[in-house]
Amino acid sequence: MSDAATGRVTATQPPTATPPDGIRRIRMPQRLRNLEFWLLLVACVINAGAIVLVQLGALGHIDTQLVLLGAGLSVLVFALHIVMRFVARDADPFLLPIATVLNGLGIAEIYRIDIAFGDSGWESASVRQIAWSGIAIIAAIATILLIRNHRVLFRYTYLSGLVAIVLLLLPLVPGLGEEINGARVWISIGSFASFQPGEIAKIALAVFFAGYLVRNRDSLSMVGTKFLGMRFPRARDLGPLLIVWALSMAVIVFQRDLGTALLYFGLFLVMLYVATSRLSWVVLGLSLFLAGALIASQTLDYVHARFQNWLEPFSDGRYDADPGGSYQLVQGLFGLANGGLIGTGLGRGSPDITPVPQSDYIIASLGEELGLAGLFAIFALYVLLVARGFRIGFAGQDDFGKLLGVGLAFVVALQVFIVVGGVTRVIPLTGLTTPFLAAGGSSLVANWIIVALLLRLSDTVRNHPRLVIDG
Amino acid sequence: MSELTLLVLQLGFLLLLWVFVFAIVYALRSDLFGQRVRKLQPEAAGATPPSGSAFPASKPPVAAAAGAAGAASAGASASEAPSKLVITSGQKAGTEFPLGRDEITIGRSSDSAIIIRDDYTSTHHARMMLWSGRWMIQDLDSTNGTFLDGVRVTAPVPIPLGATIKVGATTFELRR
Repeated sequence: MSDAATGRVTATQPPTATPPDGIRRIRMPQRLRNLEFWLLLVACVINAGAIVLVQLGALGHIDTQLVLLGAGLSVLVFALHIVMRFVARDADPFLLPIATVLNGLGIAEIYRIDIAFGDSGWESASVRQIAWSGIAIIAAIATILLIRNHRVLFRYTYLSGLVAIVLLLLPLVPGLGEEINGARVWISIGSFASFQPGEIAKIALAVFFAGYLVRNRDSLSMVGTKFLGMRFPRARDLGPLLIVWALSMAVIVFQRDLGTALLYFGLFLVMLYVATSRLSWVVLGLSLFLAGALIASQTLDYVHARFQNWLEPFSDGRYDADPGGSYQLVQGLFGLANGGLIGTGLGRGSPDITPVPQSDYIIASLGEELGLAGLFAIFALYVLLVARGFRIGFAGQDDFGKLLGVGLAFVVALQVFIVVGGVTRVIPLTGLTTPFLAAGGSSLVANWIIVALLLRLSDTVRNHPRLVIDG
Repeated sequence: MSELTLLVLQLGFLLLLWVFVFAIVYALRSDLFGQRVRKLQPEAAGATPPSGSAFPASKPPVAAAAGAAGAASAGASASEAPSKLVITSGQKAGTEFPLGRDEITIGRSSDSAIIIRDDYTSTHHARMMLWSGRWMIQDLDSTNGTFLDGVRVTAPVPIPLGATIKVGATTFELRR
């Protein structure tokens, strides 16, 4: 399996000569890119509309400065679109507009909270978010330009595994790491920029898992003993699962970050399941993780507090507890309730009562001002984004591309689930960023790179010779 | 700015968001609900490049190029390995399809490598993959089955040179 996959790198360069008669590529690059153009136009109108509505609702007049900053982002997004017209003509036309709308809605809501806090200029989170969005989109353009074929990444399987581990360990280095709100997942460079390397690590991990599983899945899926109607793997093949499990438990203990641990472990489990199509891995992995989480909730104070907040947030003791109480969770729920079906309208709610409304609680803030109708539109956009990612994965012609596409799409889905589930009290609250929406540079950069990789994958997938037989 | 205007603007914004969502869903409807089954339509056949009978069985430059590409990538075992797939009956009889090293998916969905749009083919019908130097065919749980030399394929089986594979109303074989 492994030598076949490396050999493909040369064998599948898209044929440059015209395809033989009768074998045509279903290529409608012009049609795809034009569709993307019109959707992008609507996306930019939505983003500008959101900012204008925030200003009308909260300030009562229109301030052109921020609208102009937002327009600068639109220019960058169209730059990405034009780059794709040249280097990724067959790429999926929906990913870019969806990411643009999510990013723009996030900026509008962060801006709205800045107005409530009275922040302006470089101090305000929204201006920094716009700057980071610019950096993130440029990073996406660079990714599309540099990685012309996703199989290149296959060669760097183990290197990206190493990179992921180093990125995960960076915040623990004394002097470089920084502890914010109890979690040690940040590195700070000077006093200005702090960065969450774990966000980038998830891309490196997806590449590593995909490459590793393509090379080794035979031993993980073929042998084993049958028990309870499922084929369980041999004890010696459990190594990778145990290593990733230990890694995520280490994240819980040393970085005190439950969400990230769940994200990494869930990513590995799903990719393992997709690669081997064996349910026993999922059963084994989930029971391992649940056991670990239960032990952690009994022994680690912060995990225990999270579980208590989840189970009984409205009890007085939990609500008033100062570090790690349920005040934030309950305020978020009140905000969502205040929003109701159609919301209070952008700029007219009071999301600023909830602590950190612009990052962890952006979903509650948006839910208050856009209501259930708006929140469900946002979830629908996430569903479409993830479904496109899965689709790209399924349509892939090589195993590495398939796994990578599914993995990257799933990491976005799982992250949304962990954050939204935490805010709405479906699962215990854990601090993760909502992809594209929440304030935070590292998350934006990571998610835009994921979009760029999916775009590149979809271009390679469609750019294959095809034979059409109309019966 | 009156309350009413703001409310109207707010509703308009929500509507715009949902219009955007449904515009995307409408644009990808064929992906969500599957490819439409095409009945035999003369104009549909006319839209594709000249069909079946116009092709002589061999196209020397193409076959040579495909063979060279296959040989370059397959290495030592290239002389034994098939380099092309030839359609032997149906609409496109005589057409050749170069074999690389990539998996070849067969089905009605537009992301298959060989797209067969007739009433007997499933969306994801079958796939062929190179497995330690041999081409294998696997049926993807299709409704009407995949046949290798008249025997229905249940588990992945190696494809001998020249054996007839039948998918729907189309048959093809591998040639060197």
